[in-house]
Amino acid sequence: MSSLVEKIENFKINIDESKILRLIGYKKKSNSIHEPLRNLIADEKNKCDTLLQPASIYTVIDYGQTNKHLIFKNAEKAAFCICTIGPKLEKEVKNLTNNNDILRAMVLDSIGSEAVEEVAIQSDQILAKKARDMNLWASKRYSPGYGRWDIREQRYVFHILPGQDIAVSLNNSYMMIPQKSISFRINFYKEKDLSTRK
Amino acid sequence: MSKEELLKSMEKAIVEGNKEEAAALAEEAIKENIDLNEVIEKGYIPGIQKVGDLWESGEYFLPELITGAECMEAAMAILQPELEKNQITRKSSGKVVIGTVEGDIHDIGKSLVASMLTANGFEVIDLGADVKLEQFIEKATSENADFICLSALLTTTMVGQKRIIEILKEKNLSDRFIVLVGGAPVNQKWADDIGANGYAENAMTAVKTAKKLIEA
Repeated sequence: MSSLVEKIENFKINIDESKILRLIGYKKKSNSIHEPLRNLIADEKNKCDTLLQPASIYTVIDYGQTNKHLIFKNAEKAAFCICTIGPKLEKEVKNLTNNNDILRAMVLDSIGSEAVEEVAIQSDQILAKKARDMNLWASKRYSPGYGRWDIREQRYVFHILPGQDIAVSLNNSYMMIPQKSISFRINFYKEKDLSTRK
Repeated sequence: MSKEELLKSMEKAIVEGNKEEAAALAEEAIKENIDLNEVIEKGYIPGIQKVGDLWESGEYFLPELITGAECMEAAMAILQPELEKNQITRKSSGKVVIGTVEGDIHDIGKSLVASMLTANGFEVIDLGADVKLEQFIEKATSENADFICLSALLTTTMVGQKRIIEILKEKNLSDRFIVLVGGAPVNQKWADDIGANGYAENAMTAVKTAKKLIEA
């Protein structure tokens, strides 16, 4: 693909404890959490300085240059993006799981989910700004496998973007490796009304 | 401490998620020469069952559930060598072969189910993630397992669950194993459509469903 591919690595990732608690199925208000669990979450968050390797790559191309998926037919341009936090965190999750330290593994896994979502949010914001710079309006994020955009389109995203530049690959089940990776597209429209972004 | 007090303390240690206490009480039971099967059945198992009940009533959440299972594990780590040394056979709720199907490397949800099944008296053989379909059947056959539990977290890999049930039919092994399926994209309808014996939405449901199916 000859389109310009950009890479972002300077992400600042803040992990909100309440989101971690929600992800591990905790429904109580966070002030009623037992101290040992709070300490465990803090321990795992502290590990993240060395475990997180956030990065994303993206490109923006004309709709006419894409595979012209009909559900996005009114778009002027499409931005494709792959985000990741790298393989280190999930290797540690695997180690913890193998040692049967399931709660700690679940907490760290949830931190990873939250962290990669944060990378996607920040990348999405950069792309939405690019749309405005082009005097276009950005849609919300679409990921392969969600809504009417088939999971098999994952292959197309990896055709457009060199996942290997941030060490992300796709297996035969369209699963990204590392698992804590997100791919998405957003569409740029001429008219604000066509944008689905709130 | 009397035997009754000791058994009550074991239950309490599991309910309160106190690993050190659960292990220390196991040591004490061995020292006091108490029947180890009674220790497990009347001390620790009621504890983990109570944890399950509290989770079901909404008072406990996943972290407490996992901690309860970890306490069981801590106690069993002390008791198991003693059971083996004295050639005491522990009553098993059933033998389970579990794994995440081929093409899918999600591991943690399946490990949680394995952990809860173990805590509730099942003998669990965890094959890990990305497991070849034939391997489930080979292991279940060689181990004479009661259950094959199949996890799939992707719409693209859940078809592996269907394929295993087809292979079991082709090999005339359908009646030999109870097949349980689970995972984010899986539901009861999918389980019914593919001919699985049961579907579990979460780890505790897996325990309950497995117990119900083996007693049927």
